[in-house]
Amino acid sequence: MVADSGSARAGRSAGRLNAPRPALVETGFDGAPRVVNRELVTLVREEWRVVDRWWTDEPVDRRYFEVVLESGRNVCVYRDREERCWFTQNA
Amino acid sequence: MIACLLIPGFELRAALRACPRLALVPAALAPEAGEEPLLGPVTAAAEAAGVKPGMRLGEALATCPSLVLVERDPAAVEREWEEALRRLEDAGFAVQPVEHGVVVFETRGVERLYGGVQPALERALAAVGSTWDPRIGAAGRRFTALAAASVARSGQILIVAETEEKAFLEPLPLSLLPLTAARYAELEGLGLRRIGELAQLPRGAVAERLGAEGRKAWRLAHGGRKARVRGRKPAVELAEVLAFPDAVANELTLRRALGSLLERLLARPERAGRPFRKLALAARLVDGGSWRRAVTLRDATAEVGRLRAALGPKLAELPAPIIELRLEAVELAEHTGQQLALVEPAGEEADTRLREGLRQVRASTGTGSVCTVVEVAPWSRIPEARALVVPRDV
Repeated sequence: MVADSGSARAGRSAGRLNAPRPALVETGFDGAPRVVNRELVTLVREEWRVVDRWWTDEPVDRRYFEVVLESGRNVCVYRDREERCWFTQNA
Repeated sequence: MIACLLIPGFELRAALRACPRLALVPAALAPEAGEEPLLGPVTAAAEAAGVKPGMRLGEALATCPSLVLVERDPAAVEREWEEALRRLEDAGFAVQPVEHGVVVFETRGVERLYGGVQPALERALAAVGSTWDPRIGAAGRRFTALAAASVARSGQILIVAETEEKAFLEPLPLSLLPLTAARYAELEGLGLRRIGELAQLPRGAVAERLGAEGRKAWRLAHGGRKARVRGRKPAVELAEVLAFPDAVANELTLRRALGSLLERLLARPERAGRPFRKLALAARLVDGGSWRRAVTLRDATAEVGRLRAALGPKLAELPAPIIELRLEAVELAEHTGQQLALVEPAGEEADTRLREGLRQVRASTGTGSVCTVVEVAPWSRIPEARALVVPRDV
C-alpha cells in the first residue's frame, strides 16, 4: 500500500516544548528539595516563584528550585501549589 | 457522535481464515518468535477450557493439553484489515484505524444518508460482515466509545448518550485503561478496581503517584479529551506477486524472483516516475504462515541495482521455503527527479542531504516524527508556554 503523501497531515498535533514531568521529591523542613527522583540534592543554586494567570480558571503558582544532584546533574524542579505536587522542567 | 468498531482477537481470526475448522477447537495465537512465550488471542473453546489471552505457554498447555497453536500470519492480518477498512469506506465512513481490529469513525457525515445513528452503525456492522463478530460502541468521546465497544456483545451496537458517559464509565474495570501491568498491580494494591474509583481521586495525587501515565489514565477515567476523528486517505495498492509452483528456498532463485518483481513494480504506471522511499517484502511460507519485512531506503531511488542491494539481504531472513513472494511499495517520494546544477550554491548540498535524511526518518518512524520548534510566547514566565513542537512536512 502506498500511503497518500497528504496523509502526513493526518498525524498533526502540536506538543509543548519543555512540558513539565512529574517528579518524586522529598523536602526538608524549609520546603526545599532534599531528594529528587531518589537522588540526593547536594546544592540548591537558586530559588524563585512564578505566579501568573491568576485571572484565569487555570492559575499558575509555582516555587522553582535549581538544584545540583549527587551525580553532578543540574535539575530544575518546582512545587505546583495548585496541584500540590512536584515536577521537573527545563526552565 | 464518535463510533468505535471492535473485532476482538483480529490477528487470530485473520490467521484462522486459512484453516477455519480450528475456530471450533481450543486454539490460540502462538507467541511471537524471540519474544516472551505469552499467548495471543484465544478461541471461545480455549477460553471455556480455562486458557486466557496473555497466559504463559507452559501454563496454557498444562491447563489444556489439546490446545492448538496457530502460527502468526502478519501478511493475512494486513490484507484482511485493509479489506475491512475499504468496505467501511465504501459504505461512506471516514475511518481512522487505531490498531488491527479497532477503528474509529464519526457518524455525523452519514447520519442523514442512512436515517440516523442506529441505522448508520447497523450499516457499518453489515459492511464488515458478521463472520468477524464485530461490535460497535458510540459516544461523544473516543475513549467512551472504545469502552462501550469493549463491553458490547458480538453484533451489538451500544450507544452512550453524552449525559450518561460518566455513569457508564464508573462501574467498568480499570483494565480498559491503557496502563502497564505493573501499574494495574499498583492500583489493585491500593484497592482500586473500577474506573469510577480512579476518577474520584484528586488529579494531583494521581499524577504524583503514577506520573504522566497516571495523569492520562485519570483524564480517560473522566471520559478523555473531545478530539475529532481524522479519516485516513485511502491507500493505493502498488504491489507485485510471484507464485511458485513448488516451494522455493534456494537463495539464487529467490534473488532472481526479487529482480523480476522489481522490474514489474518499476514498470507500473501508477508510480508516475516517482522513486521508492519504503518497500515491503512479504512471503507465504510452505507451512501456511507468512513473513513480512519493511525496508526504508536511505535515499529514495528507482535504480534496480540499489533496490536489489537493499532488499536482497532480507531474503536470507526467510524462516522456511516459500510458495509466494510479494513486493509492495509502501511509500513513494514526492519528486520525480533531481535537478543538477553546474555550480552548486554554498550550503545547497548539505541542505539537500539534511532534507533527504529527515524524509528517511519520517518514512521509517511514521508521520509526526519530524518536528520543528515554533516560538509562540518567548517572553512568558511559564517555560512550557514559550514554544511549541509542531510536526512538519519535509
